[in-house]
Amino acid sequence: MTTFQQIIHCLQEYWMDYGCIIQQPYDVEVGAGTMHPETFFRVLGSQPYKVAYVQPSRRPTDGRYGENPNRVYRHYQLQVILKPPPDDVQEIYLESLRKIGIPLEEHDLRFEEDNWEAPTLGAWGIGWQVLLDGMEVTQFTYFQQAGGLDLMPISAEITYGLERIATFITDTSSVFDLPWNKELTYGGVKRHEEVEFSKYNFEVADTDLLFQLFDLYEGESYRCLDADCILPAYDYCLKCSHTFNLLDSRGAISVTQRVGIIARVRSLSVKIARHYVEKYEQVPV
Amino acid sequence: MNKFLFELGLEEIPADMIPKALDQMCDSCERLLGESQINFEGLQRFASPRRLVLRLEGLPDGQAEREEVVLGPSQSVAYDQDKKPTRALEGFARKGGLAVADIEVVDTAKGAYVSYRKTIPGRPLVEILQEILPKVLVSISWPKNMVWQESRFRFIRPLRWYLALLNNEMLPFEFQGIQANNVTRGHRFLGQAIIQVQEVDHYLDRLRENYVLVDPEERKAKITSEIEQVAPDQLHALPDPDLVGMVVYLNEYPTVICGGFDPKFLKLPQAVLVTVMRHHQKYFSVVDESDEIQPYFLTVVNTHGDPDGKIRKGHEKVLKARLEDSAFFWKADRKETLKDRVERLNHVVFQEALGTYHAKITRIRKLCVHLEKNEHLDTAALLCKSDLTTDMVREFPELQGTMGGLYAHDEGYPDEVCQAISEHYKPVFLGDESPSSRLGALLSVADKLDTIVGCFAIGIVPTGSSDPFALRRQAQGLVKVLFDLKLDWSPRWLVDLALKNFPKELKGQEITGTVTDFLEGRIRHIFQEKEVAYDVLNAVLAVDIQSVNDAFRRAQALAEIRSQPDFEALAIAYKRTKNILAKQSIELSAVQEDALADPEERSLFDAYRKIRPEVEHSVHEGDYAAALRMIAGLRETVDPFFDKVLVMTDDETLRNNRLRLLHDISQLFLSIADISEIVRERDEHYE
Repeated sequence: MTTFQQIIHCLQEYWMDYGCIIQQPYDVEVGAGTMHPETFFRVLGSQPYKVAYVQPSRRPTDGRYGENPNRVYRHYQLQVILKPPPDDVQEIYLESLRKIGIPLEEHDLRFEEDNWEAPTLGAWGIGWQVLLDGMEVTQFTYFQQAGGLDLMPISAEITYGLERIATFITDTSSVFDLPWNKELTYGGVKRHEEVEFSKYNFEVADTDLLFQLFDLYEGESYRCLDADCILPAYDYCLKCSHTFNLLDSRGAISVTQRVGIIARVRSLSVKIARHYVEKYEQVPV
Repeated sequence: MNKFLFELGLEEIPADMIPKALDQMCDSCERLLGESQINFEGLQRFASPRRLVLRLEGLPDGQAEREEVVLGPSQSVAYDQDKKPTRALEGFARKGGLAVADIEVVDTAKGAYVSYRKTIPGRPLVEILQEILPKVLVSISWPKNMVWQESRFRFIRPLRWYLALLNNEMLPFEFQGIQANNVTRGHRFLGQAIIQVQEVDHYLDRLRENYVLVDPEERKAKITSEIEQVAPDQLHALPDPDLVGMVVYLNEYPTVICGGFDPKFLKLPQAVLVTVMRHHQKYFSVVDESDEIQPYFLTVVNTHGDPDGKIRKGHEKVLKARLEDSAFFWKADRKETLKDRVERLNHVVFQEALGTYHAKITRIRKLCVHLEKNEHLDTAALLCKSDLTTDMVREFPELQGTMGGLYAHDEGYPDEVCQAISEHYKPVFLGDESPSSRLGALLSVADKLDTIVGCFAIGIVPTGSSDPFALRRQAQGLVKVLFDLKLDWSPRWLVDLALKNFPKELKGQEITGTVTDFLEGRIRHIFQEKEVAYDVLNAVLAVDIQSVNDAFRRAQALAEIRSQPDFEALAIAYKRTKNILAKQSIELSAVQEDALADPEERSLFDAYRKIRPEVEHSVHEGDYAAALRMIAGLRETVDPFFDKVLVMTDDETLRNNRLRLLHDISQLFLSIADISEIVRERDEHYE
């Protein structure tokens, strides 16, 4: 029997063998693996880098109280950065799918245009969603900009949606039935978390407090930047971003406000990226 | 004669960009060959997500040999007085590697010069192809480019290989670090990774053996025939040519399979089901003979088959999740009524300077009151934008309006209200239909009018290259609705009405004229599509437009009568009248009967006086054909008038009286159209 953790293990092994650094998840709340410093900072500048890691990603608006078989508040991504991308980067990716037990010649796989953009990070890229029998299992992106800066060399970002791939391989119809290991299901491990956080995000979160926190985090981030503490500044920038997501799921942000808040986080991340490049670009890793 | 094949291999190109890019590639190849004096007999084009292909046939071995005349010094410089060759001539001959005897004298526009003929060999085809292929690649312009390597070369997706074959030989060239070869690649999973192609003519078959149908027409034929075959008995796919066009370019080896979903989802509105399947999944919906949706779907997969149903099951699972989500939205959205959502529109921005959607519906409601006092219309206007706050519309923006109608229906609003909400965005695209209900049409008019006038008021005016609010399409829609539903308001009145809703400080300047001109441009467009001749159009639009339909009726009447001989002569007479009057600026008094000196002017006046009330009556009734026929009857008296009567006589009383008569008659014309715009059939040939 294939399990969720075996699939993760297998993918990590594949990318380790390919020569990637295997990193660990970041310990600040993020909405996607892209926000991990191992992506945000490493794609900047001229140094080549290869890294892979799992990143639990929080999306408050996706919470469904553990009731929707395919949507969860906190899902897991496996993120790979190849900088610069090899010419056969697509084939290398496809090989990883074979490695975890997907006989591609028996399935319907397509690369459909999907250009990725993270306005709060001043980042965007060109690429595809990879559809496997109609299910989006991976986001494949050639980064073009991050922190508002043009990138060179380009990085290829491969983001696997682990729950989706695992339900596909194990042929389970609900993510909660997914075997995590031989004894426990995904639901057994995670359902309480989904129920409680959905309730918190949609019903309980104190929006006044969150607005205050947003301002405080933003202020602290700028203070860090002034003190030349770029990585701590980024942590607080991530906290702003997560706070914004919480406010959004509470329906507390109007469309006008939304534009303004995104612009605030963006201008913070752009400054952070610029400082980072100025400070570290000349120093070899 | 030679055959040449070029295949550009890339990572997957966005499907909707492929046809245009392929045409650009082939067109620029044709152009560049032409510029290099290379003709060919045939060009074929193929494309799939991973390749753009062109194939040329009947190519020569190279450019033809040509002869060039090399001019030297003038005859007077080349020969001295004794007609002996000078040193200049000797030098010229030596340079050409010729004897003086081989030099001849030619006459040019500047006089006689010495010259010789030189044969220039044509460049070989290989060389020319090598030279133009990189240019062909660069000439493709993509909507959104990317960089992927150090050279920072920009293209739609990374270039990966070139297959370049001249007959049975590889044509070497290099571009962006990639060498051309005689190798192509098969289907990603079903074919070989490396396929050698020995000859141009083998290409299509070699790819087909490797599960790539590179000819889009072949893929399309396979898809359309399989759509019919695999639909369950008695059922068929909902026709969707746009979707067919899309899936043709999403697959290298398309196969249609049929899947199903739980009939419990049939409780969702049909529009939602169709959109869910189409929007995210690109599935075709399946309907029965009465177009009722059935719990099946057809999907086009990129492989040769699905023997044990694994792929089908995968797609079914994905669709189930999507439908589950939509059912969640359908349930959650209905927890809050459309009326309660109206308040939420205070937080949804329509346009920064024009305010929120709440402000917009307030303006729309005011407009609607003037269009028709109707309780249902007012309700529809109040609720028409509420669905913008629903999760369903957030997920599927193309369902705006439709969802509002469905939710209104669910809340028990009268059918007129639901239909008006549901239809008020129509016509959505060029060629889309107007709302079918009167209230839907009125709401559509109010909404579009508000957008157009509001945008103009704050200076958002469409230019050749930029029209962010799609005002042209909105105006086109507005005019179309007015026309189709015979809503008889003048554009000017409508614009003034809408302008009242915007505060004074917003209107930097008087814009009624600008907006009505803009709308007139759209009217022109619609009439042209209805094949109204341009001069008739000009004649009709030169007078104030009462309504779109009224203008159209005038145009029809004018088109009908213009070919009659009386009318043609009259048009000339009118043009003369207009010219005469244009030079006069004096205040004219009424025609004095006792000052009508000549019999010709007397009979013209009598004829005019006789028909005037009848013409006015016909115009009032909108019977423009009858009015024009009566006016055309004036010809019998107009012609003698111009033949015999001198209008610009020295006698001021007589002159003013005659001018006044002409003025009155011209006003009669102008109540219908400015017929001086009508081009006579004869003139037209010289236009």
